Amino acid sequence: MRPILLSGHERALTQVKYNPDGDIIFSVSKDHVVGAWYSHNGERLGTYHGHQGALWTVDVDPTSTLLATGGADNTMRLWEVKSGKLLKTWDFATSIKRVEFSADGRQLLGVTEKRSGHLGTIVVYDINPDPEADQADDHALRIVCDESKATVAGFSYLARYIIAGHEDGSVSQYDGKTGELLYNTQVHEDDMQVTDLQWAPDRTYFITASKDKSAKLITAESLEVLKTYVTDTPLNSAAMTSVKDFVILGGGQAAMDVTTTSARQGKFEARFYHKIFMEEIGRVRGHFGPLNYVAVHPQGTGYCSGGEDGYVRVHHFDKAYFDFLYEVEREQAQANL
Amino acid sequence: QDLAKKNTANRQVVEARREMLREWLEWRESMIEMLQEEGAEIELNGGKILSNEDADGRVEEIE
Repeated sequence: MRPILLSGHERALTQVKYNPDGDIIFSVSKDHVVGAWYSHNGERLGTYHGHQGALWTVDVDPTSTLLATGGADNTMRLWEVKSGKLLKTWDFATSIKRVEFSADGRQLLGVTEKRSGHLGTIVVYDINPDPEADQADDHALRIVCDESKATVAGFSYLARYIIAGHEDGSVSQYDGKTGELLYNTQVHEDDMQVTDLQWAPDRTYFITASKDKSAKLITAESLEVLKTYVTDTPLNSAAMTSVKDFVILGGGQAAMDVTTTSARQGKFEARFYHKIFMEEIGRVRGHFGPLNYVAVHPQGTGYCSGGEDGYVRVHHFDKAYFDFLYEVEREQAQANL
Repeated sequence: QDLAKKNTANRQVVEARREMLREWLEWRESMIEMLQEEGAEIELNGGKILSNEDADGRVEEIE
């Protein structure tokens, strides 16, 4: 499982995303640049220039037509994927920490940062999937997070709910149409920030990562915690693999200086756990700093990680990975033959 | 005696896994049924929107 290194960014990666076909990886970094890369060989496909500050977040729509980004320049932007043309800029009072399209690509949400005089919010815009069309200036929905700011958010199946993870370690469920808060529950330890929220392909459940060193698998419908993955390091990201029932967790204690052994030796690891049995099954090392984001190829053939070290490492899974089965999974597979 | 204990412990671990797998598959089945009832096509297609060609193909199959 020899990785491909995408080198082109000059500062820490903040988010990486595959498009739905899995042939392109989009990356955003504190260096203000959005990158697009071919996932099979790491060749650079292009860059999207325009942001004036660190970028925090990126997402691509389900047809790979539109790209959304957000960052420290207090803007959320919409781009045409193939031409790199900037289609729309929405301005805010604070930075944009997260963007995400709904499953049908008709809505886009943004999570805005909290700052003195400004509460954190989740804004939702209606999106016209035609790149030639004008996009709405005004949001269709705005949720104010007055208890604890949202750090991450996304749309459930059919955009029925908006689910948010918060700075205080809790998770909220909002009505996707009205924005009404339906339920909030403390899934992670108090005041341990939820750092990531990624959906299962059918958006009926999601995984959260937290600074409390754990990741949790949670249902969208009732916010019931189904599974907990316990690690020994603060987590920045958690992803689920398709084909195999694994989760991949990324994080790491930020090194105070580069002479720290783990940083010097590239010992920062992606951790693989069995999704159902919650047991750790392996680690992949290589980064020279904490892993800020982990994304899985939509067809489950590989994954990539974006690091504080400024690299994206792209891995293609090998045969041993696909062959790995627990005995009870083997039983189950045979019973289904 | 130690070996007997170990075998019992192993059996318990395996039995616990079997139960977790059974519960998981049952829950997944219920979610898929729910999505089918709701007509959540994109979600059931793993997040990919069926292209017009695919959609046409499906209509022809029904005919």
